[in-house]
Amino acid sequence: MADLLPGTLEVLVLKALSLEPMHGWGIGHRIDQLSKDVFNVRQGSLYPALQRMLRKGWIRSEWRTSEAGRRARYYLLTAAGKKQLQAETAVWQRASAAIDGILRLRMAD
Amino acid sequence: MLTDLVERVRALVFGRRWSRDLSDEMRFHVDQDVAARVRAGADPATARREALLAFGGVERFQEETRDSTGVRPLQDLTADVRFALRSLRRNPGFTATATGVLAIAIGATAAVFCVVHAVLLADLPYPHPDRLVRIYNQNSPTNIWSLSVVDVQALREDHRSFDTFGALRFASFALSGAGEPEQLRGARVSSGFFSGLGVHAEFGRLTSPSDEASGAPPVVVVTDDFARSHFGTAPGAVGKTLNLDGVPSSIVGVLPRGVDDLAGFRSPVWASLKLPIPTRRGPFGYVGIARLKPGVTPAEAGQELRALAGRVFTQWQASFQDQNARYSAFELQRTIIGDSDRQLTLFAGAVVLVLLVAIANVATLMLVRGTARAHELAVRATLGASRPRLARLVIAECLVLTAGATVAGLGLAALAVRGIGSIAPDLPRADAIAVDLPTILVAIGVGIGAGLLISISPVAGVLRGSLAEWKSDARRSGGTREAHTIRGILVAAEFALAVPLLLAAALLGSSFLRLQEVDPGYNPDRGFSIALNLPASRYPDSLSVVAFWRNAMTRVTETPGVLAAGLTTSPPPDNGGDVNNFNLLAHPVANGRAEPVAPWPIVSPGFFKALDLSLLEGRLITDADTGATSPVIVVSRSWANHYFPNEPVIGQRLISGGCTTCPADVVVGVVGDVKYEGLAGSGEGVYTPFVLNGVIRNATLIVRTSASPESFMKPVTEALRGLDPQIPLAATPLRRGLRQALADPGRWTSILGAFAVTALGLSAIGIFGLMSYVVRRQRREIGVRLALGAEPRRIAGMIVGRGMRYVAAGTLVGLGLALLEARWIGALLYGVAPRDPTIILSVTVLLVGAALVACLLPGIRAARIRPLEAIAAD
Repeated sequence: MADLLPGTLEVLVLKALSLEPMHGWGIGHRIDQLSKDVFNVRQGSLYPALQRMLRKGWIRSEWRTSEAGRRARYYLLTAAGKKQLQAETAVWQRASAAIDGILRLRMAD
Repeated sequence: MLTDLVERVRALVFGRRWSRDLSDEMRFHVDQDVAARVRAGADPATARREALLAFGGVERFQEETRDSTGVRPLQDLTADVRFALRSLRRNPGFTATATGVLAIAIGATAAVFCVVHAVLLADLPYPHPDRLVRIYNQNSPTNIWSLSVVDVQALREDHRSFDTFGALRFASFALSGAGEPEQLRGARVSSGFFSGLGVHAEFGRLTSPSDEASGAPPVVVVTDDFARSHFGTAPGAVGKTLNLDGVPSSIVGVLPRGVDDLAGFRSPVWASLKLPIPTRRGPFGYVGIARLKPGVTPAEAGQELRALAGRVFTQWQASFQDQNARYSAFELQRTIIGDSDRQLTLFAGAVVLVLLVAIANVATLMLVRGTARAHELAVRATLGASRPRLARLVIAECLVLTAGATVAGLGLAALAVRGIGSIAPDLPRADAIAVDLPTILVAIGVGIGAGLLISISPVAGVLRGSLAEWKSDARRSGGTREAHTIRGILVAAEFALAVPLLLAAALLGSSFLRLQEVDPGYNPDRGFSIALNLPASRYPDSLSVVAFWRNAMTRVTETPGVLAAGLTTSPPPDNGGDVNNFNLLAHPVANGRAEPVAPWPIVSPGFFKALDLSLLEGRLITDADTGATSPVIVVSRSWANHYFPNEPVIGQRLISGGCTTCPADVVVGVVGDVKYEGLAGSGEGVYTPFVLNGVIRNATLIVRTSASPESFMKPVTEALRGLDPQIPLAATPLRRGLRQALADPGRWTSILGAFAVTALGLSAIGIFGLMSYVVRRQRREIGVRLALGAEPRRIAGMIVGRGMRYVAAGTLVGLGLALLEARWIGALLYGVAPRDPTIILSVTVLLVGAALVACLLPGIRAARIRPLEAIAAD
């Protein structure tokens, strides 16, 4: 298990929400699943991040009834959020390709 | 950006709901996690523990989420305010007193600022008001007077420093034709007057130069107000005809709504000015208004005007010999404000003093209360509140207090300002005064400033005092030595500030009393006056005018109950500055010096009897005084004493009005004084006969009656109406004119008196509060002393003595301040020296007496303390 790189949590949340609207626990659960438990996400730290993203306008929220019949707050990706996800994805892919290349070079040494 | 704002506002506005939602959400999260773990096979208790561990502290993340909303500082602020409100609500007595005191002080400050701002500081409502000047004749630094036809023509035709030049002449119009004839006080103006100010017509047009040609049909511009009251609508008035002085004049335009005065002159009707062809340099009476070219200063314009005055002088030398007379340009703003500024400055100063006294007063209350609250603060500090946090709480409390007081004060100011029209009807631009944005901002600024001032010393206590000290403070007597000193200084300061206020009010009050005792020179209870204006259209020549006056006098004197009647061009007690210059043949003024001036009523022979003036020497003016070759004058006693203190005055001769080619006037009689220059004026006057002064169409009829005048006004008015039904007639008892002369000083005195009484009351409350507090704090100590045999009377004396030490110190400083102020206030006083020792002494006695009473009450309470109870308590 590794700590998250700074700024990664938001990308992961955006990615999770790009599949479907979810409540907080769902988002955490989905990130765990997707990352195959590689990252150690403190579930509680999701909420300050969600609040920041609300303010940035990447996501919006609404109260719905959960599968279990309880009142729950669901988060949805906005158009700005989708754009943000694309941009972040592109950056990540370029960066990881570069890092990948560098690491490969070292191995060859 | 927008969503950011919306999120912040939501978090802020729905703060409580937002927090509840957040904890719901987090609880849901944990429950959800527990359920998932149970499904995976864990037992419920372990599942919950693990879920909470994985979440990582609900409280902590709630705080972090709240921080991410970005409204944290605002939420803290609301918390502070809420705390302050709670704390203030716990002490309703203190809160009500402090708010009331501050509300009155802030309200008075806002009201006075509002008036000062509107009258003294605000620009004139015309484009580039700094370029507007009024042109006067001037022959010495203090002697300025208006322009003549000659001057107006010269200035209009020959100016390089001006963009425009316009002239105005006061006029009284008899409006007739529709219902009761009405006398309008208005003005005739040239087109340059309008264009110079930069005003426009809302409907129709303003007057143009072509309207000023001698044969042009008469036209007028009216105010919106006049148009509405006479024609129903403003646009409907254009094209209508007004019968002014018997001359049909068509309305060509209506001024914008709310424009009731122009350049400080109020008039419902602005007629086009047609200048007569001058035969001599005088008479004066025209107002000249010019707009300077951009970049030209009034002084530079003065240079050019000097040369122009020289040319005019040479041309008209025969009728005007004052070679020193020059044209001078004065900023229009200054000329409109006139002498209002001294009074307004006095009020501004007074209100600042009241404000400072109020702040000192509330600061004392705060300190007294602060010590009582030391315990509460100590508890909070023990529980972990940081000192800056405590200081913030204290400041918030003070600011909340002054915020409430500011709102209440603005309400009071709005009420006061609405009444300004009735308080000070002569104030320039009184109608333009309302609580406006600058006033509100100033009130808010004053409120915040007061709040911070009040909080200084409690905050200093919080930041510096030690915890132990606070706790001991709460238990033991007196508070810290330092706090005690500050309280003493504050109370002394209140007295120091109250002294100059009280003294100013006492001086103005006693000046007002003297003014009331002034003998106007006539009996105001047995007469009335009617202003009469004969329109030139129906009284075209001297024959018809003289006939009217003669018939009028006959009819009026024949009315039963009328003892005497006479005409004058200058009704007392305030003739509005109607003076004439003269040169005594026995003591001519030196070359190049200004001639003296005196009120110069033109009167009919009946006038002296109508006012019941006593003849002191020589004879009165009679019907036989028609000899134009040796014109006669009658002078007042003051005039005679002033100019001929050691010589017989009868037979002395003088040249009047600078007319060296005219025959000299001969003094034939001396009569008692009448006040013409206001009640504070000198009583000098020179009377010249009606018949020798050409065609006089405007005069005031004065009627002396055998009893109270009211019942005779109607028969006299009817007798005159029988002579000419179209002349407007409004009879006014003489005593009303006298009352009006006293109205202004009376009002000013009562306003300042109210300020002074407020300051006195606040100071007394301050010392009372302080000494009561001292007694309460030292209850135990006093009890011990009494138990040991101290006389109760001595205890009371001790308390009073201690309080009076502060009072004495404050009063001494205050007297010093008052002496500084005295020189300045002197100009506003009549018959009272600004350092009148009796008044200074009475003010001191009053102040010290009030303070003594205020100290005596706590002193008596101290003396009545029961030793056993006091010692046993606590």
